[in-house]
Parts: sequence; C-alpha cells; structure tokens
Amino acid sequence: MLALQTIADGLVLGGLYALSAVGFSLIFGVMGVVNLSHGALVMIGAYLAWFFWHALGLDPLVTIPVVMLCLGAFGYVYQRGLIQLAVDRSSHVASMLVTFGVALMLRNTLVLVFSPDLRSITPSYSGHPLLLGGIVIDPVRLAALGASLVLLGTLAVILSRSRMGRVIRATAQQELAARLCGVNAHHVYGLTFAVAAAFAGAAGAILGIVLPFSPPDEGLWTLNAFVVVTLGGVGSPQGALLGGLLLGVMATGTSQLIGPAFPNAMMFAVLVAMLLIRPSGLLGNAFAGSR
Amino acid sequence: MLAAALRKRAWRVLAGVVFFAAAASLPFVTTPFYVRVGQLVLFSSALGLAWTLLGGFAGYWSFGHAAFIGLGAFAAGIFEVELMKGQPWLGFALGLLVGAGLSALAAAVVAWPILRLRGIYFAVAMLGISQVLAELNNNIDMFKGSMGLVLPRLSAFGLRPEALYFYLLLIATILITILAFAIQHSRIGAGLMAIREDEDTARMLGVPTERYKVTMFIASAALTGALGVIYAHSLGYITTSSVYRTEFSLNMIVYNLLGGIGTLIGPFLGSAIMVILTQVVLGRLLSIHMFVTGALLVLLVLVAPKGITGLVRALRQRWSAR
Repeated sequence: MLALQTIADGLVLGGLYALSAVGFSLIFGVMGVVNLSHGALVMIGAYLAWFFWHALGLDPLVTIPVVMLCLGAFGYVYQRGLIQLAVDRSSHVASMLVTFGVALMLRNTLVLVFSPDLRSITPSYSGHPLLLGGIVIDPVRLAALGASLVLLGTLAVILSRSRMGRVIRATAQQELAARLCGVNAHHVYGLTFAVAAAFAGAAGAILGIVLPFSPPDEGLWTLNAFVVVTLGGVGSPQGALLGGLLLGVMATGTSQLIGPAFPNAMMFAVLVAMLLIRPSGLLGNAFAGSR
Repeated sequence: MLAAALRKRAWRVLAGVVFFAAAASLPFVTTPFYVRVGQLVLFSSALGLAWTLLGGFAGYWSFGHAAFIGLGAFAAGIFEVELMKGQPWLGFALGLLVGAGLSALAAAVVAWPILRLRGIYFAVAMLGISQVLAELNNNIDMFKGSMGLVLPRLSAFGLRPEALYFYLLLIATILITILAFAIQHSRIGAGLMAIREDEDTARMLGVPTERYKVTMFIASAALTGALGVIYAHSLGYITTSSVYRTEFSLNMIVYNLLGGIGTLIGPFLGSAIMVILTQVVLGRLLSIHMFVTGALLVLLVLVAPKGITGLVRALRQRWSAR
C-alpha cells in the first residue's frame, strides 16, 4: 500500500514536471536554444494565476487560457526581439547566457512586484482528501494531474496533426529545406517559443494550487525541466511526459527509501548518467538538439 | 616556443609585471573595503583563468566548476580541522595540496566519460555533477556541509586578514597566469586550440585530443580546487551554500565572455568590470542588483559577443583599414 501511495504521489508531481518541461523541450528540440529563463516563465504563470485568484476570485484552472495567452505573447516577442538576435550575432551557447540574464531580470521583477514571500493558491475544493482504494489523494492534486495530462495531449495533437505543428516539425528537422518550401523560419521560431512559454505559464498556474511558490524557485524549475528532458528525450510531448512521470516517481521513491534529503542528488545523478549512456533520452527523438 | 612567445610579447609581459607590482601596493594605499574588492577581483580573475584552460583554450564550456571550489574547500577544511590542529600554516600548505589533489582526482574520475560529450551536453553534465556533489556535501553529516566548518585562522607579519588573503590570492593569480601563458604557447596549447576550432579534424591530423582534453580538465580542476582552499580560509567559516555556488560557475563564464574568451587578459578585464560594478557601483542598490546584472549579461552578448578584447580588435581593424 505504501508503494502504491508513493507511486500515486509521484505521478501527481510527475504530471507537473512533465508540463513544466514540455516547453523547454520544444525550444531545445526545435531551435537548439537552452532556455535558462524557462523556470522564470513558469513562475510568471504561477503569479498571474495567483493574481487572478487573489484579486478576482477566479479559479486557477479556469484562468489557464488567459495565462497561456499572456505568456504566449510574451514568448513570441522575447524570441523575435532578443533570442534570435543573440543566436545570429553570437552562438547558441552564448544565447544561453542571454536567457540566464533574462531569468535574473524576471526573478528580480517578480520580487519587486509580488515580494519574495511564499505564496500559495487554495481553491475551495482543496483540503478534502479522497480515499481511493486505500490511497489518499487530494482532489486538487487529482485536478492538477488531469489538467497536465489534458494539456500535454492537446500539445501532442497540435504538433502532430495541425498545420502549425507540421511547419514547426519541418523547421526543426531542416531549417533550410523548410525555408525553400516557403516557411518563414523566424516566424516559426517565434511561434514555437510562444507555444513553449504558454505551456510554461499553464504549468505555473497548476503548480500554484499544488505547491507553495516564491520567485527564487525559478532556478529549481529550470533544472527540473533539464532533467525531465534529458531523461525523456528532446522535442516531443511524449518524451516530456515519460521523463516527468519517471522523475516524479523517482523523487517520491527516493525520499521514501533513502531519505527526504536525497531526491535532488538522485535527480542529478540520473541526469549525468543519462547524458553518458543515452544523451538523446529514452524516447530519443532529438530534432536539432543533439546533432 | 615559449621563449619566442615571450620575446614577441615583451611589452605585454612587461605590462603584466607592472600591473602585478602595482596591485601589490594596494593594501598600503587604500581602505580595507577596497582591499576586499581587490581580493575579490583577484579571486575572480584567477578562477576565470583556471576555467579558460579548458573552456577558453579547448572550447569545452563547463557550467559546473563550482564543484571544484567546493571540493577543494571542504577537503582541505576537513583535513586541517581533523588532522592539523595547532599548526595553521603547515595545515594550510598541506590543505592546498589536499584540496587541489582531490579536485584533480575527481576530475580524473569523471574526465573520460564526460569529455566524450560536447557543447551543451558537456556543459549540462558538469552542471549536474556540481549539483550532485553539492547535495551530497549538504546531506551527509560526515562532510559537515549543512552545519558548516570553522577553518583555522591564519596570520603572518602582522598583516590585517584582508591584506593577508589579498597577497595569498595575488601569489596564486600570478602563478596561474604564468602557467596559463606557458600552456597557451606550448605544443599542448596549440593542440587545444585545434580542438576548439575543429575537434574531428584535429584528431584526424594526429593531435592526441583525448589526452590533451583530460590533462587540461584535471589541471583546471586542480587550480580551481586550490583557489577554493584559499577562498575558504578567507571566509573563515564555510557551508555547502557558501562554496558550492552555481553563481561561481556562471561567473567564470561571464568574466571570460566579457573580457574576451580564449585570451589571458580577458578574465582580468571581465572580473574587474563585473566586481567593481556589482560590489562598488551597485552595492547601494540591492533591490535591483540582480536586474541590472541580468540586463548587463544580455547587453554583453548582443553588443560585444567577442568580449572587450574582441571589440577592441574589431575597432582597431576598422581604424587601420581607413
């Protein structure tokens, strides 16, 4: 029973990990940029959702579309205005520094606007745990897992079925060929970034109802995204889902079996091991990332 | 090779000697605050130089060199506290060896697998390794990472502590500069630059890429570890979060990038600018400190992607073309 409970808790956490990492994965897979400000985007999503809940009394799960729109717009402008410039003028590794700089700026801004205090969102249905066949689950967490899975599924469908998804995948596979077919590559990169930022925002909104958060957490979410992506494989929602769920179960399992202080050490040990054994991840569908 | 390089760069070498001589007089002419700033500039420059041995010369950007600062600091700290009671200077001297040695050993253990990774994958793997070491150091009681460790106090010639550490760091910086210069103008230096430009071609042409990379990785780790030992003593009391700092790893890159990557003067320029800006100019504006640092990073990559030396070179070329 304990094992089942651990796995259930791990899956809830894993759904969140997966959703928060999928945007990171997409950006890395499509344009080869390591976005160190990804965690900051997640935090902005969390604070936006908190603002809507606190000021207007709206449920975070309802405001997800609004949060996604705001961050999507921000992501498009951020990519076209800054990241593309850095990639063109310097290199992909240097663009990493740009995103790190932006992460610092965003974190500082969040501290100035929302204060460095811990915040949490507590919807009306939180705090009434359900008992499902001997496993205790908070309905909030169940809702969070459900929302994460629905959003990941939506993204997978968009990428594989829609016109925009096909264009994004084509550009990721070969930019030159895509451009020869009439694709505006820079616009596609902007769109990819917008989608990624939107999903980061959604992850933030869901994160808000599961865990308390504060601006400095952004570093942690960026690192989580890193681990999820190297574990699952770059560039696909399926990879992020697999990586996220595995990571979630691994984190709760480690604190259960080895000790509550060790999930992070375990996470990074797995990260290094994965890089060495199979850098392209379990579902090795690396687009531009690992070439 | 080295003698010729020295002769060709006689003016620069002379400028370096004058710079270090001028730096040595700093504690006599300014207030303790600026001696501390100078200490930080030296520490940062030396770290930047140690990083550039692999990152700048061979193009293998490590995002986790703070691991070696932490390893060196804690290895020497535990060694001195447990085995060298009452002999601070002997303990410090042996501690330097222990710290550098353990960092070198750790680097040697991970070198073979991790140096097969390239570009971003190497960077991320190093980041991961430094995080693992930090977590282990923090969570295993034996290493005293979360409780903290009080190091033996050093004193000599009646110097104030900040002046003493200033001189220790000055000596370390001079030694590392000389070593880096010697490496840069040796056979292995040429090999490293070949690796940076095109590793596969270098290998095909008979450059022992594997051996060069591993050697430099170990050298870079050992120097970083030794600097960690000095830094730990200058703090006096260390915890995991004061030496295993991700900022250190990123700062080493920033100093090099700002000054000009692959050059020896780059880390000095970069760290002087960053330290003076963040400690002296922004010291009063703590609430927007991080914002300005971030904005500066962004500007840096956009305006001077090749650093200050690159900018100067480009301007000079434009000037002479007229």
